[in-house]
Amino acid sequence: MSIHWLVILPILLPLSGAVFGLLLRKFARLQFSLSLAAMLVALASSAGLLIYTFNESPVVVQIGRWPAPAGITLVGDLLSAFMVVMSQTVLTTGLLYAVACRDKCVHYPAFYPLFLILATGLTGSFLTGDLFNLFVFAELMVISGSLLTASADDRYGVEAAYKYFYISLLASVFLLLACGALYASYGTLNIADLARRIQTSPNLPLTQISMVLLLAFFMVKSAVVPFHFWQPDFHAASPTAVSAMLSSVIVKLGIYGFLRMTSLLFLEQAGLIRAALIVLGCVGVLLGGFSAIGANHLKRMLAYSTIGQIGFILVGIGWGTPLSLTAALVFAFNHSLIKSAMLMLAGAMASRAAVKSAAFNILEGIGKASPLAGGLFLIGGIALAGIPPTNGFISKLVLFKSGLEVQAFAALALIGAASALSLVYVLRAFMQIWWKMPASGVKTKPDGDRLIAPALLLGGCVALGLWSEPLIGLSMQIVNWMAEPGRYIQAVFGG
Amino acid sequence: MNLLTALAIGMLFGVGIFQLLRRNVIRSVMGLVLISNAMNLFLLSMGAYNGEAAAYAGSSAQISDPTPQALALTAIVISMGGFAFVLAMLYIISLRYKTSDSDHIQELKH
Repeated sequence: MSIHWLVILPILLPLSGAVFGLLLRKFARLQFSLSLAAMLVALASSAGLLIYTFNESPVVVQIGRWPAPAGITLVGDLLSAFMVVMSQTVLTTGLLYAVACRDKCVHYPAFYPLFLILATGLTGSFLTGDLFNLFVFAELMVISGSLLTASADDRYGVEAAYKYFYISLLASVFLLLACGALYASYGTLNIADLARRIQTSPNLPLTQISMVLLLAFFMVKSAVVPFHFWQPDFHAASPTAVSAMLSSVIVKLGIYGFLRMTSLLFLEQAGLIRAALIVLGCVGVLLGGFSAIGANHLKRMLAYSTIGQIGFILVGIGWGTPLSLTAALVFAFNHSLIKSAMLMLAGAMASRAAVKSAAFNILEGIGKASPLAGGLFLIGGIALAGIPPTNGFISKLVLFKSGLEVQAFAALALIGAASALSLVYVLRAFMQIWWKMPASGVKTKPDGDRLIAPALLLGGCVALGLWSEPLIGLSMQIVNWMAEPGRYIQAVFGG
Repeated sequence: MNLLTALAIGMLFGVGIFQLLRRNVIRSVMGLVLISNAMNLFLLSMGAYNGEAAAYAGSSAQISDPTPQALALTAIVISMGGFAFVLAMLYIISLRYKTSDSDHIQELKH
């Protein structure tokens, strides 16, 4: 078996799983087993890709054997392999949550196929080495994500899906304009080839314009501050199994894009991008924190908290030192695990309420019946706030240490104060649900969604909090790899 | 021909952005349709556009670059599917609210 399959399988398996899943739509159990099997094998092969790129070299596949600038290239380098492993881990637990939850929408015949297409789109966006191919995969992700949300049990699912789809179509327009401008200036859309040509002539008239357009595209994908307005509505209304994915791994596409832009594509203008990211990150941290405190809906609170946490990662990318980039990667990985687990717990609580909703006034006192969920929520909460012994503490520790190193005290003080906000909103939610007595006459359903998936994720959180050296070491290796863009270009053209 | 294309792109963008900012949700979707068509035209014009000359036809001086044409084709297909979906969602939303004024479509926020 050729080593190239390690890059192809993580994309191909979910895609073919979706196709065969649609053929099996009459057999629900079989369809789920097939989907889970496809996801697990894809996860195994992406883990294999990460191990291979860590020990040996990046894996580059020229699709159809067309050499690099002419054909479409798939590049499995250390950064994309890391991102793929992160997202497929969370997506697999998302499937586990979906099968054990009480939503009606998971019984629709197209639910699992669409979920797998979401996985395909995300994985493909990370692994592709071609800007236009990125558009195709991102569009795949957007369409399946909004279809899943439109089919939600929530009666406002369609409205939320409309908002998301509308803003994403606009983002695709930004990306295509950037593609056109870059093609007109440099005559190529292959990312490695573009990086090479932008290095030789970095100041063509359309370069800066296309940079800003690309930045806008990735900002919409990550819900960075000026483009964040659709995100809480969308993440609160979509089915829990899906919103846990959207708010944790799907938003990491923008983070990946910023890393690629500053370390590979626009080296000349990287300082400008970084300065913008620091400012936007600080604004996002404050805005996300305060909005989360003011939210009156548990899932909406967690969605606002995502805006804040993405802000921390942006500040890490903005400082741009090796240590702060390491912190950004560690933070991104840890946040994926924590936020997906928290949203699953929120959905599990909503499924026990008499009226299925995650609004705080309905959830009041619901937690009395399920202390296990309360314990898990507390672990996730202290991880979100950054208190040991969880991985959230590790990510904030590395980030603050890198901030001290660059002596960015103003930004440091700001995000330090803002991270206290996360403790406030998490504890407020915990008290509201698990401490208060339920109002008289309110019935709690005897059983709700199973807690196996969030328990697995939070187990990972605690494990990574106690034994964090492998993740930090891996992230440092990735930062070393990103520091030498020439090796990426050479891998694409030399292999 | 170049001037004509540039004017067409500019006009489509302008009208599209104007409609995008309207309160009426149907108009704002139409604005998005116009913008995406402007963008397709922009993609087409990026490949050394030679008016009506097709790719690989006529004398070598008239050859257009086929890559942007392929990109525009892909973008057209994807946006067609996307707009069908958007309009379907809009239909459901307008059935619920009995209005197309975006100021009144706000129950999601509560």
